[in-house]
Amino acid sequence: MIADQFPWLTAIILLPLVASLIIPALPDKDGKSVRWFALGVGFADFALMCYAFWKHYDASSATFQLVEKYAWIPQLGLNWSVSVDGLSAPLVLLAGLVTTLAMFAAWRVDRRPKLFYALMLVLYAAQIGVFVAQDILLLFIMWEVELIPVYLLVCIWGGQKRRYAATKFLLYTAASSIFILVAGLAMAFYGTSSGSPFTFDMAELALKQFPIGLEVLLYAGLLIAFGVKLAIFPMHTWLPDAHGEASAPVSMILAGVLLKMGGYGLIRLNLELLPNAHVYFAPILAILGVVNIIYGALSSFGQTNMKRRLAYSSISHMGFVLLGIASFTDVGVSGALLQMLSHGLIASVLFFLAGVTYDRTHTMAMNEMGGIGQAMPKVFALFTMGAMASLALPGMSGFVGEISVFVGLATSDAYSTPFQVVTVFLAAVGLILTPIYLLSMLRQVFYGDSAVCDMASSGKPSQSDEAVCFGTNCVLPSEAIFNDASPREIFIAASFLALIVGIGFYPKLATQMYDAKTVAVNAQVRQSYVEISQSNPQLYAKGLAFPRIAEVESASLLGVVK
Amino acid sequence: MDFANLAAQLNAGTILPEGIVIITLLTVLLGDLIAGRAASRWTPYFAIGGLLSAIVALYFQWNNPTPNGFLGGFNADDLSIVFRGIVALSASVTLLLSVRYVEQSGTPLGEFIVILLTATLGGMFLSGADELVMVFVSLETLSIASYLLTGYMKRDPRSNEAALKYLLIGAASSAIFLYGVSLLYGLSGGETRLSQITTNLLANNANESIGVVIALVFVIAGIAFKIAAVPFHQWTPDVYEGSPTPVVAFLSVGSKAAGFALAIRLLVNAFPMVSEQWHFVMTALALLSMVLGNVVALAQGSMKRMLAYSSIGQAGFVMIGLIIGTDAGYASMVFYLMVYLFMNLGGFACVILFTLRTGTDEITEYSGLYQKDPLLTLCLSICLLSLGGIPPLAGFFGKIYLFWAGWQAGAYWLVLIGLLTSVVSIYYYIRVVKMMVVKEPEEMSEAVKNYPAISWTAFGMRPLQVGLIVCLVATSLAGILSNPLFNLANNSVTGTPLLQSSVIQPARPVMLQSSKTLDEASVLEAHL
Repeated sequence: MIADQFPWLTAIILLPLVASLIIPALPDKDGKSVRWFALGVGFADFALMCYAFWKHYDASSATFQLVEKYAWIPQLGLNWSVSVDGLSAPLVLLAGLVTTLAMFAAWRVDRRPKLFYALMLVLYAAQIGVFVAQDILLLFIMWEVELIPVYLLVCIWGGQKRRYAATKFLLYTAASSIFILVAGLAMAFYGTSSGSPFTFDMAELALKQFPIGLEVLLYAGLLIAFGVKLAIFPMHTWLPDAHGEASAPVSMILAGVLLKMGGYGLIRLNLELLPNAHVYFAPILAILGVVNIIYGALSSFGQTNMKRRLAYSSISHMGFVLLGIASFTDVGVSGALLQMLSHGLIASVLFFLAGVTYDRTHTMAMNEMGGIGQAMPKVFALFTMGAMASLALPGMSGFVGEISVFVGLATSDAYSTPFQVVTVFLAAVGLILTPIYLLSMLRQVFYGDSAVCDMASSGKPSQSDEAVCFGTNCVLPSEAIFNDASPREIFIAASFLALIVGIGFYPKLATQMYDAKTVAVNAQVRQSYVEISQSNPQLYAKGLAFPRIAEVESASLLGVVK
Repeated sequence: MDFANLAAQLNAGTILPEGIVIITLLTVLLGDLIAGRAASRWTPYFAIGGLLSAIVALYFQWNNPTPNGFLGGFNADDLSIVFRGIVALSASVTLLLSVRYVEQSGTPLGEFIVILLTATLGGMFLSGADELVMVFVSLETLSIASYLLTGYMKRDPRSNEAALKYLLIGAASSAIFLYGVSLLYGLSGGETRLSQITTNLLANNANESIGVVIALVFVIAGIAFKIAAVPFHQWTPDVYEGSPTPVVAFLSVGSKAAGFALAIRLLVNAFPMVSEQWHFVMTALALLSMVLGNVVALAQGSMKRMLAYSSIGQAGFVMIGLIIGTDAGYASMVFYLMVYLFMNLGGFACVILFTLRTGTDEITEYSGLYQKDPLLTLCLSICLLSLGGIPPLAGFFGKIYLFWAGWQAGAYWLVLIGLLTSVVSIYYYIRVVKMMVVKEPEEMSEAVKNYPAISWTAFGMRPLQVGLIVCLVATSLAGILSNPLFNLANNSVTGTPLLQSSVIQPARPVMLQSSKTLDEASVLEAHL
């Protein structure tokens, strides 16, 4: 790696950014060449990251790789320091894939195409920047850079309540991201008076020992910051609005990648840097995870808008990530990451297909649809496959992720049996609710009497006749033409579905990229757990009533930790 | 005292940049007198050239081994050089913006330039003034010139109203300031040099006197008026709204920078004995300014009023650097003022341009501007987002440096409030961006619908365009490539003996070093 001095990651981040700056200068009136340009850049960047990881990324190592470090503003201690490890590499690839395909999915955007694609490319760079930043301040900068493009993308090319949704998104994210900065400053300055180095570098910060009280505070702050992004229960309210109001390509990115930034941050900062506090917070995370699963599923069932239903299903699925993170087992943490990847693919394809459907029906209200399956068999087939993946049908990636989380939680020796039974049972209830709302959505949209098709002939006025255009051509629902999926749309959906099925049948495809890393993360967390539970065996019993730990046999535990 | 000795004592070279400005000013005045209106072809450019050469002269004074001039009346240390540079630069950008504005309003340009240069001169002298009389004279030069500028549109009743308000409140605050200064003068036994006041106070055993505290309060009132800190801000919205926009641009940047220079010099130099008290008062002012400025800005309908409140909030941020009083604190102040110069003047440039083309400055009238004028939209968006602290624009790095320094010094609560209020500020800045960029063509405002064709050929439009582009480029790049600016800010602080002696001084207010976090931490630990 060292011999190879080419700054791969910097190139991967800067390519879309530079390309977005070129866009205004492109001679283009109708947006035809801009989209080819943007797609080409997205694809080139994706190819670049594939090549860089293929050649220079060693999946068997848990350390930071492809490290680049340049002093940016030494006065602040800010370094342009980027690297990948098992945690970030798969997410970088996910971001590249989803964003590229989202730009391809946005083929029909004909309102202000230049601005649209320029913002998409900036967003592309910022997402990758978040995943590869090794400097907390740099992570914060990337986190904030991503705000404005998303805001504008939702605000200009969204549904009817897009401005409300975009502002809500902006304020939630901006306000919560304060905690990243504050936690970063606190960690960087901690102990500088007693000689420990001043640094924002995560690898060096991991070596610092914080007093447990400070660690708990930092953990809580970061949990808020990342919890908003990951849509943990009381902080999720922006998500249905933003995901529901954004246009399909933007929803793909929001659900496919931006949600994962929260999970990534939790593992990267909370678990890796603050493992002691994690021991105290893990039961809370598990409970929040269960709440997310059940609450998300129940709310989803109550939605009549197709995209809002999918948005709540995302909330539900993110609960599994929390459960996995809280499990204290290798399988569980690995499952959490797999669940993020798999949900990234599944949510993207579902939102994409919702957009495809919308392009025909021009309504999102499920009770106005029906019988579309006859008119659009291919969309129907693809949508069914996506829904099956989402409800964790064996053989699809969703199943692997969720089963890993379940196994991890069930075999965890950190929690008492009643606590495990209750959480696993409740999570399983969520698993039953998922098919209910997804299948009922399929039934309402694709089966039944062809309400929308009839509408075209009878000219029945529809409630949402003030059509929402999402930046594409405006057709009223009553004038909709139902043609089946075009090759472009099939290609996009098939790319996602191929990966979903591939990971479903052969999970090592994904897990081999990060197994070494998740095991290392978990070993560290367990280490803290063992230390804390030895000094304080009644740990959980005191603070919270029910997650009582079984009397920890440290001998057997240490055996697991090796 | 022989001549050589006297010349060394005077050390008149220290005010060479001001000398250049004075010569420029006189030339413009005479040129305008002789050539009449025809002179307005060259006077603005000549004035800008003069200001820029003053900046060049400042550059050559950097690290001057003998900074004291005029028997200690003027101090040309690195800090004053930076602040004088900021004042001069803001005046030259303001000149770029004002040519067309003044021309279109039908008032003579020559006098405007002369008065603006006088204000600049006052600001520059104020940044280096090291003696009470000098401080007051330069403060008044700046203030009186500002009153004149505020009322320059003499046919516009709102401009007159603004000038009257500014004059009355400004005169009152000058009187209060003068009273505080005179107390100081008396208590120190007739000493006017700032650096000697403390020594004399100690010698006279006056350091325990309540008089020092009263003097402090009065002096702070005068300074806070100049930097528009809450609760001495009431004049700001009205004056900003009524005055000619280029004047507002200068008041919000140049005049404020001079005020901050005065604050550093006077408080650090003359009031070390009541350090705890002035830190306490300034903390209160900073908190109030950040909260009130940013919150009230949410409710404004006029762009200039919004920028007025925003500038109050921004002053609150800058005060964090003053309060913590470390090297990094002063450097972050200087750095923030430098980037603030470009982003705020850029914002005002856009407001001026929009007003020139449409005749209004209501925020709602900006609806749909993106369709008609992409450059203006881009520039205003960048400047406002930078003011809101969105990376990778310059304002973000300025804010992060302030908060970084604040956290380093342990001023946790100030930093937290600063962060919270800057989120609030994002909301009102982005509201304007939303108006311009997001609105559909059918939601376009009347003003934008009747938007004139974009032309840069009219007299005075080119300078405006240049000013716009300069601010745009500086705001977008000064953050990413901010190393030189950081170095400049840091060197100006480390190269200033005054601050170096004060930085070491241990007396820091107790309330700032909030060890609450750690206290809570230990409580939690005990609990667990």
